[in-house]
Amino acid sequence: MSNQGNRAPAVPRSPVPALPRSRLLSRKARSTVIAYLFLAPALGLLAVFTFYPVIFGTILSLFEYDVLNPPKYVGLQQFQRLWGDRYFWIAITNSAKYVLVVPVIQLGSILLAVLVNRQLRGIKAFRAAYYIPVITSWPVVGIMWSWMYDQQGIVNYVLQALQTIERPIPWLSHPTITLYAVMFVTMWKGLGWYMVIYLAGLQSIPTEYEEAAMIDGASRARVFWRVTVPLLRPYILLASLVSTMAAVKVFEEIFVMTRGGPFFSTYTMFMYIFDEAFQELNMGYASALAVVLAAVILVFSVVNFRVFRRGGLEWY
Amino acid sequence: MTTWRRCIFALALAFAIAFTTGCRVAAGPQVTLEFWTISLQPFFTDYINGLIAAYERANPGVKITWVDVQLQAIEQKMLAALAGRVAPDVVNLNVEFTVRIAERNALVDLDDAVPGTERAKYFEGLWTSARFKGRTFGIPWYIAPPVLMYNTELFKKAGLDPMNPPATEDEMIQAARQIKDRAKVYGFMPLVDGTRLMHRFLENGLPVLSSDGKRAVFNSPAHAAYLQRYIELYKRDYFPEDTLRRGFTGAVERFSAGQLGMLVTGPQFLLRVKASNPEVYAQTSVAPYPAGKGKVIHAGLMTLTVPRASRHQQEAMKFALYVTNDENQLAFSRLAVTLPSTKRAAADPFFKQSGAGPESKAREIAADELESSRDLTVVVSNQSELYKIFREAVEGAFFGKMSARQALDWAVREWNARL
Repeated sequence: MSNQGNRAPAVPRSPVPALPRSRLLSRKARSTVIAYLFLAPALGLLAVFTFYPVIFGTILSLFEYDVLNPPKYVGLQQFQRLWGDRYFWIAITNSAKYVLVVPVIQLGSILLAVLVNRQLRGIKAFRAAYYIPVITSWPVVGIMWSWMYDQQGIVNYVLQALQTIERPIPWLSHPTITLYAVMFVTMWKGLGWYMVIYLAGLQSIPTEYEEAAMIDGASRARVFWRVTVPLLRPYILLASLVSTMAAVKVFEEIFVMTRGGPFFSTYTMFMYIFDEAFQELNMGYASALAVVLAAVILVFSVVNFRVFRRGGLEWY
Repeated sequence: MTTWRRCIFALALAFAIAFTTGCRVAAGPQVTLEFWTISLQPFFTDYINGLIAAYERANPGVKITWVDVQLQAIEQKMLAALAGRVAPDVVNLNVEFTVRIAERNALVDLDDAVPGTERAKYFEGLWTSARFKGRTFGIPWYIAPPVLMYNTELFKKAGLDPMNPPATEDEMIQAARQIKDRAKVYGFMPLVDGTRLMHRFLENGLPVLSSDGKRAVFNSPAHAAYLQRYIELYKRDYFPEDTLRRGFTGAVERFSAGQLGMLVTGPQFLLRVKASNPEVYAQTSVAPYPAGKGKVIHAGLMTLTVPRASRHQQEAMKFALYVTNDENQLAFSRLAVTLPSTKRAAADPFFKQSGAGPESKAREIAADELESSRDLTVVVSNQSELYKIFREAVEGAFFGKMSARQALDWAVREWNARL
């Protein structure tokens, strides 16, 4: 008798062959590789246009380099020079003053977002109107506001027509007011962008929270400050962070409207970096200034995180 | 035809094509020169294209690529090209930019490169304008001595005689006050913004540097009094608030809009006034520049430079000398209302011809002024930094942060610490 009858019943074979353990790992590795392949274009661009310039610029801050002659290593000399450089202090003071834009623009855009977050006829047109300055380029905005701020421009004309002022105000030609006049343009242009962020934030808040507070007898103002604003905190963090960075790095509006004048009253860090790099050809010193500016931005970012990190729906 | 015959025929045909193509390649240009100019398009496009075509015809191995760049962009574009090792071969710069780039040892020394016989063709004062540490780095091209343009209607409105325009700086200031007081528009926008005040000092016989060029000396009581006079005019609203910010550009715009009584500028700007506002152009008359007490007039000079990084320096030099030769400068002056930098071209009877329009009058006036014209750009090491200090001092005085004397004293101290 053959032993065929004693055979164990045949196990049906899986249509997918069992892979050895090592192949399973390679599948995982494969998905990782695929993920990185998807990331590669963006990483490549970041590497070329962000990481490389950041690393190169930081290294360059240790050299004297005028573009036309070979760089010369000078160690930390460029950073030591900063402390005795009066234009550095003028520029960093003006850049710090410019950060005043941040709270004003944030509060303004939150209020604007609340205003346009209503189901009214034609509200979309309003939202679009507030967004138009955002998509207009800085040279156009700068030239337009230079005309409006002109001695014979519309701003002075309206103020004189309303009998608010006797003589035209030199908006862009007086050292005590020009910085604030340019700040106003920054706010005007940025308001719509932050409004959209806050609008998205407001629309993500369930109405129950505000309704519950109203039922409990809270006034509209109290609901806004005690319920809406805390729930918006993650959005405030994002917007403030971006806005602070933009304020410290302000350049385009200054370049188009005042070129740092009058009397260096709008001479900000980026204007100084631009001057040192492209007017005086001190690429090494300009890089040292940029490194310091990056450190300042880092400090402001940490402060923003500390102030606004708690909040939002998850916190409740 | 048999197959092998076809093959031989095809081979012969291919050989013939290859041979003729090769011949064509061999006959093509062996040298390509890149030539940069400042803001000559669109007004002078045909002139430059004609100039290039004639040169290429006369020099079959050379091809010229022309690039026109705006004044505001030329310096940065030039630096980017030098840094990127793609330097142009012949570049049009003004004296300030020429010196700033020469300071970096990036331009060919023309006192060495251009033979003495060629150098002698140019006015000596112009040949030495773009000079750094005793060496010249820019071949003088065209120059535009300033003239006084004035709006005859506004003159009449202010009770001034349009046939008797101001002849001196003092008279110009007096006329400006009268225009503001009576015609209720600004009379002038004096060119005292930034470093232009240095030109005014020099035009009034007030030196900026000591004779050896090693010390700044622009803080004498006479310098301070000169600055103080303009500060008083500014405080009394006799010139617009944006004068210091917008300077010359603002002045041209305001004059073209009929909102300025007088404009001091190169005669070539008449073309711009004509193009932007024919009505104002029709009311515009031209007079000699109301000179200061120094018997010298600042006139912006354009130069042609050859970067050391050019791979064809000899050919570039030859082309630069061709562009600035007598015939070509004369032809350009006929179009551009500018004056040539060579003696022979400037002596042409064309510049003495009186015509009906303001352009020919301006050209005639400018030609007369050529003798006393110099590019008064102050040439110093660390130019940008020293200019920045000067600007800060002047603006500080205008905005009342310090007195004129204090501002100039401070600037002189800062300059001397760096010179």
